Amino acid sequence: MTLLWLRVAVLLYGIAALAVLPAALYNRPRWRHIAMPAALCAVFFHFVALAEMLNAAHHALPVDTHETLSMLGLLLGAAFLVLAVRYRTVSFGIFLLPVAALLTVVPAFRPGAELLNYPLLHTGWLFLHVALLLAAYAALLISLIASVLYLVQERRLKQKRTSQARSWLPPLETTDQIALKALLFGLPCMTAGLLIGSVVALETIGPRFFADPKVLLSLAMWVVYIAMIFIRRHSGLRGRRAIYLSGFVFLIVLAVWAANQLSVVHRFRAP
Amino acid sequence: MSDQTKLGTLLLVGVNHTTAPLDIRERLAIPAARLADATRSLARQPGIREALILSTCNRVELLTVTESVDSSDGAEAATALSFLEDFLNIPTAAVTPLLYTLRERDAIRHLFRVASSLDSMVVGEPQILGQVKESWNIAREVGAISSTGAFSSMLDPLLQRAFSVAKRVRTETQIGSSSVSIASVAAELARKIFGSLANKTILLVGAGKMSDLAAKHLIQQGATTLLVSNRTEARAEKIADALRTTAITTGVIPFTQLHEQTHRADIIITSTGAAALGPAGQIFSPDNARALVHRRKNRPVFFIDIAVPRDVNPAVNKLEGCFVYDIDDLQQVAQENRSLRGREAQTAESIVQLEAERYGERLSHAPTAEAIKQLQSSAEAVREAELARTAQRLANLNAPLTPEQQSAIEQLTRSLTNKLLHPQIMTLRGADPKRRGEDQ
Repeated sequence: MTLLWLRVAVLLYGIAALAVLPAALYNRPRWRHIAMPAALCAVFFHFVALAEMLNAAHHALPVDTHETLSMLGLLLGAAFLVLAVRYRTVSFGIFLLPVAALLTVVPAFRPGAELLNYPLLHTGWLFLHVALLLAAYAALLISLIASVLYLVQERRLKQKRTSQARSWLPPLETTDQIALKALLFGLPCMTAGLLIGSVVALETIGPRFFADPKVLLSLAMWVVYIAMIFIRRHSGLRGRRAIYLSGFVFLIVLAVWAANQLSVVHRFRAP
Repeated sequence: MSDQTKLGTLLLVGVNHTTAPLDIRERLAIPAARLADATRSLARQPGIREALILSTCNRVELLTVTESVDSSDGAEAATALSFLEDFLNIPTAAVTPLLYTLRERDAIRHLFRVASSLDSMVVGEPQILGQVKESWNIAREVGAISSTGAFSSMLDPLLQRAFSVAKRVRTETQIGSSSVSIASVAAELARKIFGSLANKTILLVGAGKMSDLAAKHLIQQGATTLLVSNRTEARAEKIADALRTTAITTGVIPFTQLHEQTHRADIIITSTGAAALGPAGQIFSPDNARALVHRRKNRPVFFIDIAVPRDVNPAVNKLEGCFVYDIDDLQQVAQENRSLRGREAQTAESIVQLEAERYGERLSHAPTAEAIKQLQSSAEAVREAELARTAQRLANLNAPLTPEQQSAIEQLTRSLTNKLLHPQIMTLRGADPKRRGEDQ
């Protein structure tokens, strides 16, 4: 049943991702009326599927790659809905909905079969650790997309190409607010996520936890993340330079993610 | 009674900006305060069942449902003309050559075009739909349009259809999505930079009709603070006073301190045309703009340069955070938008044509549908009365029916009624000339 809901969610994400194209690119409100309910239902079914999946696996948090990707997809889908309601723009769906669909399609059609017997998996703290970090990653991705949209709109306005074909781009100030607010939302998530993870690891693994490459990279990511917010807030960094900065932090995030291959702690092998 | 007489004939008589000059339209225009009286008076004219008057600055149209069978004899148009003569005291000779008279499907199509803003002077302008709705409300309030039953009124469903057609046109085309005047283009561009203009500050440098108009448009979009700078401070104060309202804060910046205070503004409209502050004879050089953006902590600033010669150096547009549009740029955008509206209008015309044909078709079947409806409801009344009488008789005999028996008898009588009515309904449908035509 879990897989059925997840497949329904993938299908709905796909419909929403297709419908959002004419809705945003050609300003067709009818397609918006398809994209929004489809995305809403996709997020709902995705949530149900994920909750059932975690419950059925007797652990309360996403641990294997598939579950983690699926949860990130759910967060991105939910973020699209929040942005659409708060800023009245579906433009972000052009990027977020296909990514959400792609992140969900593998768990839906090739579910993982990793057997995990790690006692910590049953603790709520670890769930918070994973969920908060995934929320921070999602926020960073949204901030990066917003910065790219800002740059495209800025160039378009400077080149005086104001034809209706590209009127789907949100106003500059809106994209800038989204980029900054996403970062500001991501910071406490990342901080709390890392703190919780560190405390739990210290209690169970001991100080050698801090020698783990993923942990070191995560700390570096946190420092760069704070630096990025500081620079953006205090110098009002926008446009090309803001994209470079967000892109740099995003690369670090990808490196942190990839460091799972080198990490003992984050592969959940019994210590 | 013929079908035609039963529902009446739809007739539209009027003038618009393409058929009548402004002085005639002015004389024919009915003020909003008198529109209810005029509509009531038109509806009381002999031979008129329903009436609606649409009076705007670009058109005066009388939409009526008349009792006349022959819709081509011109008698109804004469009634409309005599109404205009009586109510507005205008000699018919002056108006007759400028009037257009449309009947039935042509009238339907015209109404749909008007409501969809395809017949407007500025195609796609949104006000006309509100004006048609207002006329409809007034006509309903004074009883000139009946609002009961689907076919007892011809105008009520027609107007409601016109509104949904107009909505469809707005939804499926981009006919009203772009601005076509310089001032509104400037406001639209400002929205693309700042989103909402609420709490934004406008700086007006110099004075001119166009810059005033642009400022007013921006204020309408939500800008709340207006600063004015002019070589003559008294003139700046006069402009600030003229544009000040309870919702708008205004202020004057001395021309000599312009560069020190420009950072307060998000949108700068310049129209001095004879600059002197900058080294190249322009008010805003790239250096000025760089300092301005720095003081604004990289927040964007929008220059609307209406002056000729230009007040803002074009190189300012290359700086990050600065957007410069001169008069030619604004005109080009307006021209592109006009072309877009033209293309969208073609799509909108096909929608209107299709909807008008559909509605006309539906209307032509309306008398048959009404007759069938009446036949069915009278048969249903007889059935219910007979059922009630039988139930009463059985109750008097102390043999009331069980719920199952009641249900069986209910089903039996319903089935009998339907079967007995079927040949008559088929005959009525067969007698409908429109349907016969379809069958052939």
